[in-house]
Amino acid sequence: MSKQKIKIEGDKWNSERVRADRTDELYKDIPEGDTLMSIDNLRVIYQTDEKETVAVENVTFDIKKGELVSIVGPSGCGKTTILRCIAGLLQPTSGKIMIGQNECSTPGSDRGMVFQDFALFPWRTVRQNVEFGMEVAGVEKEERRERAMKYIKAVGLEKFADSRIHELSGGMKQRVGIARALVMHPAVILMDEPFGALDAQTRNIMQDQLTKIITHSERTILFVTHSVDEALYLSDRVVILTKRPSTIYKVVDVPWDRPRDRTNPEFTELRRKILNYLEEQNVMD
Amino acid sequence: MVFKYDEHNKYHRMLRLGIITAVSLVVFLMIWWAISVIANNAAIPDPWETFAALADLIQNGDAVTGKSLGDYIAASLSKFIQGFLLALIIALPVGLLLGNFKFLREFTTPWIEVLRPIAPIAWAPIFILLFGYINGATLVVFIGIFFPLLTNIIFGVTKIDPVLIDASKTLGASNLQIFTKVLIPSTVPYLMNGVKVGLGIGWMCIVAAELYATPLGGIGFYVANMITYGAFPQAFAGIIIIAVLGLLTTGLAEYVSKRVSKRMGLDA
Repeated sequence: MSKQKIKIEGDKWNSERVRADRTDELYKDIPEGDTLMSIDNLRVIYQTDEKETVAVENVTFDIKKGELVSIVGPSGCGKTTILRCIAGLLQPTSGKIMIGQNECSTPGSDRGMVFQDFALFPWRTVRQNVEFGMEVAGVEKEERRERAMKYIKAVGLEKFADSRIHELSGGMKQRVGIARALVMHPAVILMDEPFGALDAQTRNIMQDQLTKIITHSERTILFVTHSVDEALYLSDRVVILTKRPSTIYKVVDVPWDRPRDRTNPEFTELRRKILNYLEEQNVMD
Repeated sequence: MVFKYDEHNKYHRMLRLGIITAVSLVVFLMIWWAISVIANNAAIPDPWETFAALADLIQNGDAVTGKSLGDYIAASLSKFIQGFLLALIIALPVGLLLGNFKFLREFTTPWIEVLRPIAPIAWAPIFILLFGYINGATLVVFIGIFFPLLTNIIFGVTKIDPVLIDASKTLGASNLQIFTKVLIPSTVPYLMNGVKVGLGIGWMCIVAAELYATPLGGIGFYVANMITYGAFPQAFAGIIIIAVLGLLTTGLAEYVSKRVSKRMGLDA
């Protein structure tokens, strides 16, 4: 990735980094179920010394308030690229990302992120990790502590609040990552294969925990995964990408109530259909 | 009762290592003794003469100058500590700067690569000429400690996990906050490694500078002075003091750096 450069068309990267907690309150006037975030004509071209590679082409979709949308696609298709553009960590070649009336171009705390390899600060304790965002936003120490503990409890880590990161298991680490994102009350939470580094059992437990968390609060989440099963188990809608250059193949609504039953015939039928499509795409490489 | 060694018993392991170390030291003394007997040269005193001279040095100090062992150690340590602090004060900001800015790093790399391999003691004549004995010696120590510190700090900054920077950006941190709250803490273990290496080199530098420039005083002066008087057991006693102090310095640095690494969550 380091050798590659992103080719940029049109407007330069500007605007201030958004820095505040509880950015979800900026959008409290948008009713649940209305569009909160829109991704419009996203295009990413990687430029290496020899050639240009179109990684993402004309990706347009939106996320409604309170929804969990998953992105799935064949391996190497640029799911993470799209997510990183939305987070502001990668500058797209062209396209527009909006939350409400605000354009997102630089990273900011209005788009909280959960990383596949956790990205926790090893020199901080669990609580200090969860407090990081509030700390840089200038939240008072007492409020910080109180809110951090609330979310540490919510993910079941109250006994480990003062532990250091290397003392935790993979599943526990990711629960810290999730608490760290939730506590900031971002407008949108981006999750980049958050359970990808975990074993199958832990994965299922984490999926159930996440289901509980989202049914009790009105969170808007964009979730990247390579597991169709995970996408169907968690999401309200699934965005299916084609292979490179990625564009949207289809957006599937997932109508079932949570918690879902993976053995339900409708569930397995839909999973089979999507998997077949992805396999077709992989074979054609 | 027959003693049975148990690998899982902490005290058994300590006892085992203790016995090995003790036997090793005895063998070392035997070899030393054998060499002194075979060489049959006044410049190689045997261990017993040396220990007698050491006991005398500790009790009565230097008969020639009238200074105590404590005076010598204090003279060496004060220059050592000054050189170390000077190196730390300069290497820290410079290292963070060079680690952060690729152009500056690329631009200064030739300077560093040319200056770094020069043995610090090679600077002694010039530094002493330019800055006098005391400051010259401090600068020799400074040079010895500065480069290991600097290169370790630069390495630490460039080795920071980029995903931690990404995470802090998505949590709303400004560039300054990323610098102070992410970059600096993640560099600390590397800094400590530089301190560890630097202290070992710095200690060698101060003794070498004292041997070279005897008006400096210090324990290196004592060794050089005793050799000019032909008092070889006394000179060897001085060398033992140097070794023990060097061991203590690096041992302390090792201990502190281990604690810091653990505190910073990097004891893999």
